[in-house]
Amino acid sequence: MKGKFIINGKEKYLNFEADERLVITLRNNGFTEVKNGCMEGECGACMILLDDKAVHSCQVLTASVQGKKILTVKGIGDLHIPHVIQKSFVEAGAVQCGFCTPGFVVATYALLKSNQNPTETEIKKAIDGNLCRCTGYVKIIDGIKNASKTIQKERE
Amino acid sequence: MNNLKWYFPKAIDEATELMKKEKVLPHASGTGLLKRNLSNLNGLINLSDLELQYSKQKNDTIEFGSMNTYADIIAKLSDIDENNILVKSLQNSADTPLRNRITIGGSIAFAPPWSDIIGALIALETEIVLAGQNVGAFPIAEYLRNSKLKKNSLITGIKFKLSNWETFSHREIRTKKDMPIFHIVIMLKIADNRIQDSKIIITGTTNKFDKLNEIEKYLTDTEIDEIEYSKIEKMVDVKFSKNRISNPEYSNKLVAVELSRGIQKLVRKNK
Repeated sequence: MKGKFIINGKEKYLNFEADERLVITLRNNGFTEVKNGCMEGECGACMILLDDKAVHSCQVLTASVQGKKILTVKGIGDLHIPHVIQKSFVEAGAVQCGFCTPGFVVATYALLKSNQNPTETEIKKAIDGNLCRCTGYVKIIDGIKNASKTIQKERE
Repeated sequence: MNNLKWYFPKAIDEATELMKKEKVLPHASGTGLLKRNLSNLNGLINLSDLELQYSKQKNDTIEFGSMNTYADIIAKLSDIDENNILVKSLQNSADTPLRNRITIGGSIAFAPPWSDIIGALIALETEIVLAGQNVGAFPIAEYLRNSKLKKNSLITGIKFKLSNWETFSHREIRTKKDMPIFHIVIMLKIADNRIQDSKIIITGTTNKFDKLNEIEKYLTDTEIDEIEYSKIEKMVDVKFSKNRISNPEYSNKLVAVELSRGIQKLVRKNK
C-alpha cells in the first residue's frame, strides 16, 4: 500500500504492508528516532504525536492513519536546534542509555502543550505510558519540571 | 505481503454492508485486533471516517458516539459529572497513550475479561446503539450475553442516564501495568443517613460479570450506622477461573475485602 502522511510538518508518501504497524513504517522510511521497543504498547519508546495526541506507534496500524499528522521527537527539536524539553532533560541528567528518551520527550511535549504548569501527579500520569530502566524516573520528573518552569518564564 | 484489504467507508450503512463480507472486521482504532493474527482475515474496515465521535445530551440522558476514545469520554463526561463511575473506571484504565487510542465502541465489542469499563457501563444501565443486522438500543448486559446481537452489527454509540451517585471503582492488580484480575464497581445513593439505592458489579468472573443482588438488597434502605460489613463480606460468593496468577478462592476473598472497604469509604464520605 502507499499512503500520504504529514510527518513533522512535511507531506510524505510512504509504502507499507497492509498489516504493518506505524513504528515499522516510520523506521523503514528513515524516521529511526522512533524507537522500536516492546511492540506491545508497554514501553513507550515508539511514542509519537498523532493528530496532537500521544500514542504508541507500535499499537497503530499504518493503513488506518493515512492523511494524519505525525510528530516524532525530531519534529520537536534536534541536535542543532534542541527544544527546551530536550535541553532540560540533559541538564537534569534525565538521559542515561537514552533509548526511552524520545518517547519521554514526546510525552512531555504533549503534556506541556496542554498544561504548562503541571503538578507532580499530572506529570506522573502523563508519562504513565513510558518505561525507563535506567534512571528511576526522579531525574526525568526533574527534567519535566525544569522544562515547565523555562516555558513559563519564556511566556512572561 | 498479505492479501489483507482495507475499506474506508464514509457512511454507517456502507460500513455495515462491508461487515457482511467473509472474514472482514471493523477496526475502531484500538488494540484488540492487534492481538489477532491478521493474516487470517480478508479485510479490515476503518471506522475513523464515520462521524461517530459525537456526544449529545438530551434531558438527563447522555449519548457518546462509539469512536470516542477513552480520553475523549473522560474529558467530555468530567465536565458534566466528574464523579461519574465511567470517568473513574476510564481514568484507571490502561495508560495515557492507550487512552488516546482505544475507543469505547471497540472496547465494548471486544470486551475482554479484564475490561475496566464493562462494570461501570452495566452499573449505569447503558444502552448500546446498534446499526446493521440489529438496529436499535439494547441493554449492555443483553449485548454481552447474546452473541446474535453482535452478528453483522456495528456499535454506533452508547447512552445512559446521568444521576447523582456516590461511586467507587477498584481494579485488582499487582502492578500498574497489569490487566486486572477483577474490577469492582459500587454505586450508592445515600440520603438522610440511609442507603437509598445501590448497584454492585464485579467483572472478570467466570460469568464475565456478576451483579451482587443479595448485597444490593441488604444495603438498600439500611441506615449507614447499621451496616454490618462482616456480614457483607460473608455474602460475597463470586466464581473465578483458575489461572497462573490467581487462585479463585483467594480472589473471592479479595473481592469481599475490597468491596467492604469500598462501601465503607463511600459511607464515611456521607457521615
